[in-house]
Amino acid sequence: MIAQKLAIEVLNAALATGGDYAEIYLENTISENVTLDNGKVDHSSRAQSYGCGIRILQGFNSVYGFTSDLSRKSLLTLAGQLSRRFEGERKISVKEAKNERIPVVNRMHGPLTDVPVEEKIRLLREASSITMGVDSRIVRCQVGFNDSHKDIEIWNAEGSVAHHYKNTEDHGRFFDEAIAKEGNRIESAFEGPGRCASWDWFVHTLDWRERAKKAGETAIRLLSAVECPQGKYTVVIANGWGGVVFHEACGHSLEATATARHLSVFSDSIGKQIASPIVSAYDDGTIPNEWGSNNIDSEGHATQKNQLIKDGICVGFLVDKFNGRRLGMEANGTSRRQNYQFEPTSRMSNTYIAAGKDNPEDILKDTKLGIYVTNFGGGSVEPITGKFNFSANEAYIIRGGKVCEMVKGCTLIGSGAEVLMNIDRVGNDVALGQGMCGSQSGSIPVNVGQPTIRIQNLTVGGRGGKLV
Amino acid sequence: MNAQKFFDLAKAEGVSESQLRIVRADSIAFSTYHHDFDSYQINSSQSMQAAGIYNGKYGTGATEKFGKDSFAFLLGALKSSAQNSEHSNTVGIFPGSPKYKKRNFYNKSLAETPITDKLQLIKEIENRFYAFSPEVSDVPNVSYSESNLVSEFYNSFGLKLKQKRNYFIISASVVVKRGDETKTSGDYIFGNDLSKIDIDFFVKKIVKAGIDQFGGEPCEPKPYPVLLKKDVFAALLEVFLDANSADEVQHHSSFLEGLEGKRVASRVVNIDEKPLLPGPFYTYYDGEGVARTNKKIVNHGVLLTHFYNRETAKKAGRESTGNGTVAGGKIGTSSTNVIVKPSKKTTNELIAKIKDGVFVTDITGLGQGLNPNSGDFSCQAQGFRIENGKISTPLDLITLAGNILQMMKDVVGFDDQYEFIASGIGCSNALIKTMSIGGSKE
Repeated sequence: MIAQKLAIEVLNAALATGGDYAEIYLENTISENVTLDNGKVDHSSRAQSYGCGIRILQGFNSVYGFTSDLSRKSLLTLAGQLSRRFEGERKISVKEAKNERIPVVNRMHGPLTDVPVEEKIRLLREASSITMGVDSRIVRCQVGFNDSHKDIEIWNAEGSVAHHYKNTEDHGRFFDEAIAKEGNRIESAFEGPGRCASWDWFVHTLDWRERAKKAGETAIRLLSAVECPQGKYTVVIANGWGGVVFHEACGHSLEATATARHLSVFSDSIGKQIASPIVSAYDDGTIPNEWGSNNIDSEGHATQKNQLIKDGICVGFLVDKFNGRRLGMEANGTSRRQNYQFEPTSRMSNTYIAAGKDNPEDILKDTKLGIYVTNFGGGSVEPITGKFNFSANEAYIIRGGKVCEMVKGCTLIGSGAEVLMNIDRVGNDVALGQGMCGSQSGSIPVNVGQPTIRIQNLTVGGRGGKLV
Repeated sequence: MNAQKFFDLAKAEGVSESQLRIVRADSIAFSTYHHDFDSYQINSSQSMQAAGIYNGKYGTGATEKFGKDSFAFLLGALKSSAQNSEHSNTVGIFPGSPKYKKRNFYNKSLAETPITDKLQLIKEIENRFYAFSPEVSDVPNVSYSESNLVSEFYNSFGLKLKQKRNYFIISASVVVKRGDETKTSGDYIFGNDLSKIDIDFFVKKIVKAGIDQFGGEPCEPKPYPVLLKKDVFAALLEVFLDANSADEVQHHSSFLEGLEGKRVASRVVNIDEKPLLPGPFYTYYDGEGVARTNKKIVNHGVLLTHFYNRETAKKAGRESTGNGTVAGGKIGTSSTNVIVKPSKKTTNELIAKIKDGVFVTDITGLGQGLNPNSGDFSCQAQGFRIENGKISTPLDLITLAGNILQMMKDVVGFDDQYEFIASGIGCSNALIKTMSIGGSKE
């Protein structure tokens, strides 16, 4: 997006006052959305995000700026303004730049943004009619497809030779939201599978017809769900999107953004037991074409498979370049950002609890009284204390080892450290689920994942009194 | 940017009427960590959003790239968007309102205050946190951000509107420790006049809120009379305001359907929308170019109007309320400067008769634990017990669950602690007859 000569000029302007690392992140993104409301195309839009972020590091200090004007004058002005935050002498002069080869994790057969909108509409129209056809009490169905194609260039330097990386990121996400109404009661259900994959995958591999049906059926079932009880219970969490528990309760607290500043319950936990011995967990940005995967991270590092917990022992953090300096740890390909308007930092990609030995049916059968959560809306965590909350949008009562009535309005709260220790069963059915994770460097696509797990003594919030 | 050139090109490509919105934003942001500046940002961005009528259909396009091919990109996106739309937009592009109440609340002195003074200010705040109490074990973040925004709105009928505003947000969080207990607390100040901030009050408020959480006890789960702190009430009121969108109501997906002109809250609830209120959120035209006006939304518990854009208004056979927004290719609605009338009662007077209740001071995870269509919600909360008319001990790990419409109907009253919050809502603490509190007490 800019010539090598200009990139070197900008890096040198950034490093003029003693910075020991400078980086230029250039982005040109086309994103497209088409949404059908009750079977009719309500809106479709195409937008372009375009700009550059410049970052300079000096020891434990960082400065960052962005602009959507990529002219020479604008980039040199920004680099100059940022460099003036430091008052030292130049330590690095960039003389040349080397084009770096990057691994290919996500193989695409053309950008999703090149697929004619009419094709997407055809699929969505059928999905909409499946959802609407589930029951006459479905009063509204919004189905849509969001996709983006991002061209990225990174130039960085911490010596006389700058490194130049070129990458593309493609994401596509099908979504289906069904709203059911009966009398004054309104309930909704959402399905949103996504992937870094070509259109063919969405049409032929994704079970979108099933997902469309499921959205409608769940919304209808919720119309007769009873209020969730409140208190401390044994909670069984189904595989896939259930992994949001680990993501919120533990994953964020293992990011270097929190651990490097001792702002996490797990700050000094490497080598220590932080989870039940039956728990192992990974963050893996290299799973081909998965929603959270990428060829390289936002700093140019190749993505990696990082083990975070091994048999209950904390063995690693998610480390970006800047926070790695405080930790004395190497960056491990986990630096991510929403777009050029965000300074990158350590973030999760595809994060999951590894498969255990239990058969998921046995876990349910061995639970006398408890809550079975099969789907979540999402959640949040406060990394310093590890306190989290997440909301279940599909949950059931377990009585005598059997899944019984559906409940609504179910919130799980607790602390990450406690929950990890209280996992007493881990299934063998690991699966991944897609979501958007919002944090310091913006909103990014992530996979959460786990097999079926059981947690003892978890606080459940709802309006249904005590569970009997 | 030559808007007329865009309109001429649009016309030549068969776009019968069009509008162009241009936003330029400059911002600075920095934060301290352990007496040093660890984050420092200087940003500038620009964006263009076009909308128009092509072959009788409404289409949009947006770009952040300002160059020789930008108009071509916008027109290509607009035409494709219109061609694919099956949505019957019957109102077209808005020519303009007869009158606009334009005022200027841009504070030049904020923009001209040297950056060194702003850096010094947050260093000073960090120092005062440590000096305030030995129980402050860490100050993870004191940050300052300032935005300068210029919005321009043009259409092919000759309408030209412009608005400039600036504001700052100072936010801070602290970690307090007592024995084995660790608590966190944070807050923010916003505005566009730095001379009005009271650092000592800000520091005391945050540290006290952290220290007050020590010694939290489990809570017995059951319905309680609940005093909602103003920030919490404002967060829950936002759900009510979103549900008041005429678009949601007309799609049968709002719990406020069929309630325009009817009782939706207790008689003590009075809510106004005042987009023309002086201050950083002042705005005199909406996303469609319609003049904004101040108006009553809820009068003594009765819902007077939904929020209408031009299209939903036409469907309902009435005028737009000036609440239109254009985002992501869709015309929706939004509200600005929503004011809930406070009372003259002190907090103690308001809760004097509560024997066994809960004061909820913070909620987390509302976005995840909410069904916006039904108004049902369940989320993590933080707060204190109310015993015999007094706020007493802190509560450990509680949840708050309820229904927004029921909550509005159960408002017993408000106190006199009115404050305008950065979300654009002004309100005071609200006492609710009963809400469901979950806790970990067996």
